[in-house]
Amino acid sequence: MVYLQLFLSFMKIGFTSFGGLSMVSVINQEMLTHGWMTQQEIGDIIAIAEMTPGSLGINCATFAGIKTAGVLGGIVSTLGVMVPSLSLCLIAAVFIAHFRKSRFITDLLSSVRPVCLGLICATALTLMQSNFLPGWSFCWQAVVIAAAAGFLMWKFKLSIPVVIMISAALGLLIVR
Amino acid sequence: MPARIETQKNELRPSEKLRRAWLLFFFFFRIGFFTFGGGWSIIAQMTREFVEKRKWLTNEALMDNVSISQSLPGIMIINCSVQFGYSMGGVLCAFASALGIALPSFLILMIVTYAYNVFADNIYVARALVGVRAAVVPIIISAILRLRKAALKDALGWIFASLALLLCLFTNVSRALIILVGGIAGVLILNARHRKEEK
Repeated sequence: MVYLQLFLSFMKIGFTSFGGLSMVSVINQEMLTHGWMTQQEIGDIIAIAEMTPGSLGINCATFAGIKTAGVLGGIVSTLGVMVPSLSLCLIAAVFIAHFRKSRFITDLLSSVRPVCLGLICATALTLMQSNFLPGWSFCWQAVVIAAAAGFLMWKFKLSIPVVIMISAALGLLIVR
Repeated sequence: MPARIETQKNELRPSEKLRRAWLLFFFFFRIGFFTFGGGWSIIAQMTREFVEKRKWLTNEALMDNVSISQSLPGIMIINCSVQFGYSMGGVLCAFASALGIALPSFLILMIVTYAYNVFADNIYVARALVGVRAAVVPIIISAILRLRKAALKDALGWIFASLALLLCLFTNVSRALIILVGGIAGVLILNARHRKEEK
């Protein structure tokens, strides 16, 4: 039963991943052992995941699922990779809502908040490096577009979808 | 503020709950199309829509949501939407939010999978994407600026944030572990502080 196999495989990928590229090794292993994707396709899907909205996990599940067993395969794989969020994370949400006022949880959350901000800063810096200095060569177009996007958001309070579309248009115009 | 939202949740009528579930589904469906950069830009979108416009939650509550989402297994943005959906209207809203955010990636990938060769080597697609990826940087920075006050309340906050940043940039320690260690250290330090105050 290929649907069940896909579902269980992607559930496993979901439970063993902690965000971003950390799931690549598990995806690699699962896809190659089942023969669902080639090494070449795995490389491509990572590039595609970078290009398209949504996370690597969902994108990979959809791609591998459809390639293996059509649209229904894509649906079961995507649901599989969502199982941890809909179970563990939901339980955590219920737990936190009940104990929000306890001193332990308040202390825990208030000390985790700055850690989380630090991690978001790290993401911003990593993205700056990979977009502005791809392969350590300076990409001035990206810097110009980023500055323009920041200005549009700050000065004209444009919504994020609009900013993204304007930036895509700028990319078409000035990137060579 | 969070207390007010909690009582609101308990008093919600079923029809109101259903209305909220639809609203969340469509909100997440809409932003799902624009979650470039590993989903980080949805945090910026959530502060705009739910903290500033609708005032449904505080920046602090959003930070908590993001921290918990990062420290649990699974996909960060799905975790984030489940947590948020639950706090807005229970399990139904949690599922509605998760499906809302997953659906756009699914639809887009379905098209990409079938039109794979056209898409992968297209020079115009590549150029537009340089622009999109560049825009994600100021989007994330705007989220950081909005969340800064909620996260950095004292010297300890600054120390924790800097340590997390350095660990994440220069070591291979996983993010979940950094959050876990930060949480334990924080609880111990604050506990010592409470004890001193009680004396």
